[in-house]
Amino acid sequence: MEKLSKEEVLHVANLARINLSDDEIEKYRVDLKKLIDEIDKIKDIKGYDDDLMISPVEYNTELRPDKEGKMLDYKKALENAPHKTGNFVEVPVMLNE
Amino acid sequence: MSKYLDLSIKEINKLLKDKKIKPIDLVNEVFERIESNSDLNCFITLNKEEAIKKAKELESKEVDNIFFGIPIAIKDNICTEGLRTTCASKILENFVPIYNATVIDKINEKNMIIVGKTNMDEFAMGSCSKTSYFKAPHNPWNKDKITGGSSGGSAACVSGRLVPLSLGSDTGGSIRQPAAHCGIVGMKPTYGRVSRYGLVAFASSLDQIGPMTRNVEENAELLNIICGKDEKDLTSARKDVEDFTRLIGKDINKMKIAVPNYFVSDIVSKEVLDNFNKTVELLKKSGCTVDYIDIKYLENAVTLYQIIAMGEASGNLARFDGVKYGYSYENPKDLEELYTKTRQIGFGDEVKRRIMVGSFILSGENAKIYYDKALSIRDDIKKSFDKVFEKYDFIIGPTTTTPAYDIKEDSTDPLKAFMDDVLVIPVNMAGLPGLNLPIGFSKDKLPIGMHIVSKRFEEAKIYQLASFLEKELKLNLDPRGDKNE
Amino acid sequence: MNNYKTTVGIEVHAELKTKTKIFSDSANHYGKMANTCTNVIDLGYPGTLPTMNEEVIRLGLRAALVLNCEINKHMHFDRKNYFYPDNPKNYQITQNRTPIGVNGYVEIDTDNGKKKIRIHDIHIEEDTCKSIHAEKKSMLDYNRAGVPLVEIVTEADMNSAEEAVKYLEKLRELLLYADVSDCKIEEGSMRCDCNVSVSKTDKLNTKVEVKNIGSISNVGVAIKYEEDRQIALYEKGETFKEQTRRFDDKTMSTILMRVKETGNDYRYFPEPDIPFIDLTEEYIKETKENIPMSADERREIYRKAGINEINIGKIIQNRTISDYLNKFNNRINLVIASNLLLGDIAAYLNKYEMVLEDTKCTDEKFIDVVNYLDKGKINSKIFKVILDDIMESDSSIDEILENHNIKEMSEEELISIIENVIDSNSKMVNDYKNGNERVLKGLMGLIMKETGGNANPELVTKKLVELLKK
Repeated sequence: MEKLSKEEVLHVANLARINLSDDEIEKYRVDLKKLIDEIDKIKDIKGYDDDLMISPVEYNTELRPDKEGKMLDYKKALENAPHKTGNFVEVPVMLNE
Repeated sequence: MSKYLDLSIKEINKLLKDKKIKPIDLVNEVFERIESNSDLNCFITLNKEEAIKKAKELESKEVDNIFFGIPIAIKDNICTEGLRTTCASKILENFVPIYNATVIDKINEKNMIIVGKTNMDEFAMGSCSKTSYFKAPHNPWNKDKITGGSSGGSAACVSGRLVPLSLGSDTGGSIRQPAAHCGIVGMKPTYGRVSRYGLVAFASSLDQIGPMTRNVEENAELLNIICGKDEKDLTSARKDVEDFTRLIGKDINKMKIAVPNYFVSDIVSKEVLDNFNKTVELLKKSGCTVDYIDIKYLENAVTLYQIIAMGEASGNLARFDGVKYGYSYENPKDLEELYTKTRQIGFGDEVKRRIMVGSFILSGENAKIYYDKALSIRDDIKKSFDKVFEKYDFIIGPTTTTPAYDIKEDSTDPLKAFMDDVLVIPVNMAGLPGLNLPIGFSKDKLPIGMHIVSKRFEEAKIYQLASFLEKELKLNLDPRGDKNE
Repeated sequence: MNNYKTTVGIEVHAELKTKTKIFSDSANHYGKMANTCTNVIDLGYPGTLPTMNEEVIRLGLRAALVLNCEINKHMHFDRKNYFYPDNPKNYQITQNRTPIGVNGYVEIDTDNGKKKIRIHDIHIEEDTCKSIHAEKKSMLDYNRAGVPLVEIVTEADMNSAEEAVKYLEKLRELLLYADVSDCKIEEGSMRCDCNVSVSKTDKLNTKVEVKNIGSISNVGVAIKYEEDRQIALYEKGETFKEQTRRFDDKTMSTILMRVKETGNDYRYFPEPDIPFIDLTEEYIKETKENIPMSADERREIYRKAGINEINIGKIIQNRTISDYLNKFNNRINLVIASNLLLGDIAAYLNKYEMVLEDTKCTDEKFIDVVNYLDKGKINSKIFKVILDDIMESDSSIDEILENHNIKEMSEEELISIIENVIDSNSKMVNDYKNGNERVLKGLMGLIMKETGGNANPELVTKKLVELLKK
């Protein structure tokens, strides 16, 4: 049975920011290959037109007036954050800045 | 033990109005039933204390609408302020939303009583609710069978008569397919009919909230109160309020019905097909014309669905990163580890698979090869459905290819979940409304459902046809069956 | 070294001047306490959806129009997917396929005449969180998350630091005067990233992106630094990889941040939560008509009014002054008015850290005082004396003058003073009559002293010369 390469699995795992154990990598080499083979069927479809359907909605976007609404108290805003200092959300240092 | 919950909503409403019962009687009965049926595993979180409190508060209020004081169960991907909302995932295991979904506001306005959050596939990804972090719910008709999914808990709790009503969500069949397996009525409304604000997104252009009920009329009634344009959702339809029950009881004579050949091809089991064909005969006998037709690209719908749903999901689920809410990997050595370990541990297998494939689909040149092409064929599918509806009132077919299968059945095949929904997925691609109506049983006494589809915004007509069949078929849809008599 | 050609392309992010955010109705305020201007949408809560601020579309369209762009009348938004803590949803809603404007230009003045810097596109998007960094932790403030931005991307059309600076000054002026953005670089409401490369041939060499430049003049410094650095490397026979560097304003140099991997994989796809937005011809026309007067049009007015180029430059630098002046165009002497506003009034306002609206100088008082100066009723010395009262009292100019006991001197009084001075300074008068015109200044001084400053110098000069001729 055909599998993806380890590198191919690691590439998509990196895009999705998911760490994988060696066992998981092996498993996904098979699973992801099956799914990708399935979606590859789209390559065989011919005779479509080029209009993109980005949403089934047939309306245009309705614009909102530039008027201020209710905001959260900062305590509420941080309520679910796993890590915080003072009134900031905290994360491990961002190196790319 | 009281049995008020076995009455229709209208009957309960009358008892409440006449002060023969109080909302608390209903709430007590619901929790008695949930507790004595805990093996069905329909719920992830119960809202018992709050429900009792609310029921007591309602005692001093006037019974001003049909749903006043009526208990309802909510799928656990719809945000409820102050009530844990997990999406059946470890990553949201302890997540308590700080705001309500628009549908929850609407339910609260009617003074309905939310009794709990129902079990489901993790982030609604799956077709048998087995991907739940909280283990699968069981089918009230046979506890060894699946409920279907992803709204498995919402289907099972209504089917098992634990709660009269529930809300589900449907991205590629997740209301209709479990409704079929559990023998209840489930409607996926037209895309845009019900606000998605507060529904944790799986695939934004496909997701839709809908009612799951014991019968057609109550389904239409529940849709009446949850639908409507919402300023918070740009994809919600600018449609006036209408009464979806208004055509119930009206004649269906001369209605034109189309059956796509693909929906009755060899992908469907004989048992299901036999039941479906019997219903078709009934429709013909009742004055409808039924034609068998081909719809262009119908066979490709699952492939397109996979591309669009997984692509959108990979973006929608990116926000779960351990920073703002939800599970967060402890003591990461750096930012990268916070992300990758939080998501490795927080997400289950099905979810990880789909967001990785979704990332693949959108990556670099793939976006053109897969995603753009899927969006343009999606437009064609929509147009080919529109064409059918120029001539026909309905498209019908079986809802599922087989009755509910064994929970124990191997579900490691990553394609199985999609194939289970092959008959219901096309409707989401086109944004059409679709309803499951129970039409019979398998030889093992498992429900079989029919799928009724109309053009956009004609839900009222679907209810008309469905209620006609419901009346004609007179099925006993209570899984407690003989015990009950 | 001189045979290297520099090529610069610039990306500018400018925050739009709206009351609320682009996709939510929480406030777009700078400088508030961290995390007090947010709601569940800004925080990227599960289940939330974007709405679309009409003012963002209007200002985005304005910006596209002042940059001479073709407008995408049928536009949508896209998701740009990348994981970063300042990006709450881990995707940014932006415009990739259908930016609101494309193929525009900005015209700058160079030593070789006018030059068009082509605008590749201008698109609307949301800003990220602000982050503060400690040694091991970073802290996030979501107040800025969802603030509306336009990103303006040029073609690589600039060939020197000077051109880049001119482009940015012109762009800033255009956005500022169209009321699109307040363009405060120090507050981050305008941010510039430059792509710089040098080459001996027409073939472009490896480009280096420089981020984080805190002022327009430092953009020039950064580009010059990069020119020198890159040329030095090539001269040594070295090459380098495409990279991102940041400008360090302490050392006035650029510092390596990261070497670019093989292309960023942003996995763009159309935002399904925001359906198409159609800009009608009518809407575009109306938006165009409502764009406030541009700096160039203003310059033209001031030139016609006779204001000197230096002062015109100063006025254009200060939008408030320009708007104030424009209120009185064709009604008062703009030269005098601008001298006051740039001079004594500016000094007063600076001293008390005020703006003109905070003072009691009404439009009426301003018109009066400018007219009195114009007609010689008072002189600039008197203006200085009464300035505090103009700003602080409710009295009219006439009342203030009266309170100060300043009366306009009658011509007879003035003539008698002049005659007295002429009579008692015969030596100076003789010198003057013998052709020494410099003594005129001395006589003037003596007369002004006698008048207590209550005379109009122009009038005094005129009368003095007349009387001396007698």
